[in-house]
Amino acid sequence: MHMELAKTRAESPPTVGAVEVVGLDKAYGKNMVLRDVNLEMPEGEVLSIIGPSGAGKSTFLRCLNYLEVPTAGTITIGNTTVDAGARPSRASLDHLRRVTGMVFQSFNLFPHLTVLENISLPQIKVLKRSRDEAHEISRNLLSRVGLDAKSGEHPSRLSGGQQQRIAIARALALSPKVMLFDEPTSALDPELGLEVLAVMRDLADEGMTMIVVTHEMNFARDVSDRVMVMADGGVLEVGPSDQIMTQPSHERTRKFLRAVLDR
Amino acid sequence: MTFFDQWITWLPQLSPGLTVSLSLTGLCLVFGMPFGLVLALMIEGKIVPLRIVALLFVEIGRGAPALVLLYLLYFGFPEGGIVLSAFTTAVISLSWTTGAYSSELFRAGLAAVPRGQREAATTSGLTGWPGFRYIILPQALRISTPPLASLAVTIFQTTSLAFVIAVPELMSKAYELGSYTFEYLGVFVLTSILYGAITVAALALVRLGERRLSRHL
Amino acid sequence: MIVQILSGVGNTLLITALSLVFGAALGLPLVAARRSSWRPLQLVASAYIDVVRAIPPITWLFLIYFGLPQYALKLNPITASIVGFSLIAAAYMAETYRAGLLSIPAGQWEAATALGMGFFSTTQHVITPQAFRVTLPAIAAYAIALLKDSALASTIGVHDITYQAGLVARSSHQGLLAFTIAGLLYIALSLPLALAARRVDKALRIKLEVA
Repeated sequence: MHMELAKTRAESPPTVGAVEVVGLDKAYGKNMVLRDVNLEMPEGEVLSIIGPSGAGKSTFLRCLNYLEVPTAGTITIGNTTVDAGARPSRASLDHLRRVTGMVFQSFNLFPHLTVLENISLPQIKVLKRSRDEAHEISRNLLSRVGLDAKSGEHPSRLSGGQQQRIAIARALALSPKVMLFDEPTSALDPELGLEVLAVMRDLADEGMTMIVVTHEMNFARDVSDRVMVMADGGVLEVGPSDQIMTQPSHERTRKFLRAVLDR
Repeated sequence: MTFFDQWITWLPQLSPGLTVSLSLTGLCLVFGMPFGLVLALMIEGKIVPLRIVALLFVEIGRGAPALVLLYLLYFGFPEGGIVLSAFTTAVISLSWTTGAYSSELFRAGLAAVPRGQREAATTSGLTGWPGFRYIILPQALRISTPPLASLAVTIFQTTSLAFVIAVPELMSKAYELGSYTFEYLGVFVLTSILYGAITVAALALVRLGERRLSRHL
Repeated sequence: MIVQILSGVGNTLLITALSLVFGAALGLPLVAARRSSWRPLQLVASAYIDVVRAIPPITWLFLIYFGLPQYALKLNPITASIVGFSLIAAAYMAETYRAGLLSIPAGQWEAATALGMGFFSTTQHVITPQAFRVTLPAIAAYAIALLKDSALASTIGVHDITYQAGLVARSSHQGLLAFTIAGLLYIALSLPLALAARRVDKALRIKLEVA
């Protein structure tokens, strides 16, 4: 059923642009880790990025909110454009991060705060919401990810899957335009990964624009609208998920898919 | 008189000294630890002149013997026209020592906060001061607390140096008692037991606290 | 003034060096006792280490210098300082050795045993060289701490750097300057130790990584 939903959305893509990346380069000294990456995404699209390790997938994702500073290129998310060539201002970076929500492989919940505080603190400090308002929004988000009972716990008391669901709620609390997922299930046992993937699936169904770096081929095939394949710091191919997963045009994609699907 | 009878008669004479030692310790921690945190922030900060000043305070505070610092201020203040009591001088000097050593522990704590925490703070919009204040600092303080507590115990022992500038703390009282009873050995054994008992008890508390603190990390 | 303060350097170094050497030697049986499988011996050793560290060094010095003569053991200030600091150093050195030994993964013992090496040859060829790398920087750090602690010897009348600076301060009303010089002198004396430690540490690290 989820699959069908995703399909319908893919057939009638919205026209508003959510993400536009042009000519993105990233180098560490002389070592080019990203080379001329381009991407255009309409609002509500779910894009999976796959590829062998060392391809630059995570680096690309982390450039989108400037956790890594790209060497060249422009990034537009919503109505914020940041040009790596022009040394972006602090305000524009803050704004870029405001409109993107990030979910990390290692969750990175704040260990000294309770679950409720983890989700509420950014709202109170960044969006200047009142404590009561923030708590109410946090509780709603917690019930969305199925964890309303855990609001008073500290992260260390929760399973990895629960922590990751809370990390998703924390990111959603700032009402981002785009959600970035950096291998959100790689640190989890398979059955815990499933509960996280279920939350992500719901989010996709609700029309959230999502970019997901993932090793979960099922997610890439069933939930995402398009798949981007990266290798050696560049884009091999981008296309509708069905096509990429069943009839990729690139030999390297075929090899990669055969290797991961055999596992 | 047996050994113990003697000790019981000596204790009331030593206890005012112990009170002074403990209040000296308390004041040095109250002033020295925040000073150490400020020094750590100055060193980690980007403003070069502040960094240099802080580094000087830390390097001299750690590099020179605490005893020399004590004498330095004891002779230095009056020569500069500042008249302070020996007790105040000892508080200032030992707070400097406390600050210099604790700044290193604060810095180690800051460095030990995982990188992912900074990234998560950044992506949650908590950049600059709010991110530091609400995410990085609380975790750094929690990491630094056990070594800071051990430092506090060391500072308690270091207050014994104030004896040399005639602050009436425990060592000073012990020496006084020794010099009119001529029972130096007994007096200093008792003094050692007092220092030792407080140190051991304090360290046991530190260990207990450590276990509680590590619960959420 | 500088000449007078410098005249204390000899005693400062003498006390530091001898206490370090005696402490390093005494620390060996102490750590052996601490790690022995015979419980009473183990307890005595750890009690010694804990007691020494729980009492301020100045109290030890006074105990030895003023207290022992009651039992006809009259030591001159320098000897009393060396005895005191050696006893203290032994406890710290024992802990340093222990940390070095503990830093070696059990797998090293197991691998050597599996290769048929005995206790002594394992200790000599496998454990000690690795423990040394962890221990050496810690020994250097302790040597620096001991150098600074040796200033306490001035309180029982050893004519060291601090004592000489005190004499200058009392006679000339230039205490600020005298103790600034004294302070810098201690820092200067500890620098070679710190640098040597860093260099040895680096050299050993490379050697171990290559091996």
